[in-house]
Amino acid sequence: MNKRMLVALVALAGVFIALYLTLYKLGYIGTLACAVGSCETVQTSKWATFLGFPVGAWGVAYYLAVLALALIGLTARYADSRQLSDVLLGVTGFGLLFSLWLTYLELFVIHAICQWCVVSAILAAILFVLSWLDRRDLTALIDDQAAEVAEQLREGTFGAQIRNTSEVAIRAVRREEQ
Amino acid sequence: MAKQRMDGGRGRRPGVVSSAKRGGPGKGFWLALGLAAILGLGALGYLTTRPKVTATTIDPNLPPMKAEGYVLGSASAPLEVIEFADFECPGCGNFATLTEPDVRTKLVNTGKIRVRFIDYPLPMHKNTWDASLAAACANDQGKFWEMHDVIFNNQDRWNGEATGRPRPVLATLAKGIGLDMSKYDACMEADTHRAKIQSHLQEAERRQVQQTPTFIIGGKLIPGALPYDSFKKLIDEELAKAPATTDTAMKPTDARPSMELPADSSRRSPARADSSAKKAGAR
Repeated sequence: MNKRMLVALVALAGVFIALYLTLYKLGYIGTLACAVGSCETVQTSKWATFLGFPVGAWGVAYYLAVLALALIGLTARYADSRQLSDVLLGVTGFGLLFSLWLTYLELFVIHAICQWCVVSAILAAILFVLSWLDRRDLTALIDDQAAEVAEQLREGTFGAQIRNTSEVAIRAVRREEQ
Repeated sequence: MAKQRMDGGRGRRPGVVSSAKRGGPGKGFWLALGLAAILGLGALGYLTTRPKVTATTIDPNLPPMKAEGYVLGSASAPLEVIEFADFECPGCGNFATLTEPDVRTKLVNTGKIRVRFIDYPLPMHKNTWDASLAAACANDQGKFWEMHDVIFNNQDRWNGEATGRPRPVLATLAKGIGLDMSKYDACMEADTHRAKIQSHLQEAERRQVQQTPTFIIGGKLIPGALPYDSFKKLIDEELAKAPATTDTAMKPTDARPSMELPADSSRRSPARADSSAKKAGAR
């Protein structure tokens, strides 16, 4: 099980949590009521809506995007793509920052905690860490490929004249990647 | 996976980078993903179809209510419904704007029930005390329910997110329903009804009300902004059970037999009417 598979699974869990929060906000789950320190306080505050949509709906879109990226990253064509890892890292980094901001609002502005929002923030952090590890794996993979190319260059008759074989190889591998 | 090809690269065709592609997802992965999807959908399906009303039976040994609250409806109505509400709570606002008009026309004005409103100002709502005080001052002039309605209909104009100084906004609303402003201002200035609202709050705590709105219908405590159908169902069950055994011991001092309702929504400010229409659409 590689990191992208884990990303896909965690993102799927995130989709459902965000969907739950959205349905709750829209009144399809439970009845709207106010209590001290509860989800209701958070969900009925003005920060529960972002650019005209419930924050939960943005969460659904975000997790779906991460899920899609991870699944694309599992296809044969992109399995070795480090660029896909870069994109994944960027997207999950943004998601983590947004979650941190929302958690800050809960703790210091709304003064109430919504437990599923916290779970979502934790998932966002996990996704970011997994993406970072995935990118590290891919970097290692490219270095391995470069080492192999360098070896071939060194062994091949035409390689004898080339200095810095490994550097040349890294460039060659990266170009092939693109 | 990346390490698999480190076992020596001799004998390969030059020019071919044979580093193993990372293995594609196996059956196990798709199985896990599918299971997770089914689990998630199942949980959401359960949550959306689960019945929304969660009533708890009230301990019959609790002492009778002390708080008067504010009463709307006939003193001879066979059933009294008690609502604990916080003027700044969006759930209460939802109930007041979406459900309550039906409750009044179909249940209160027809003499089936009377409604007793008891303030439960929650600590996280900064402006709710001012709203409760304003409603109490309006009650002095016999216009509690009119004030109740404009306060809820305009929640987003005076609540803690809209302003740090709710009193001028509440005064505008008071003026709008035709209160004698010199009396109203004096009443607000003197904090006349703080003790009364405090007693309402204590009643709510004694009744172990956990959230607002919470309703007492017969022997049951029901939290949440009930939609009309659920509300009606609970009333019907209670009326069918014991048509004449409700406690009429409490004398409804602030009782008003009925209230002519805004047949259209002319009473509401246009902005609020819009937002409640939006809420209705979202449900």
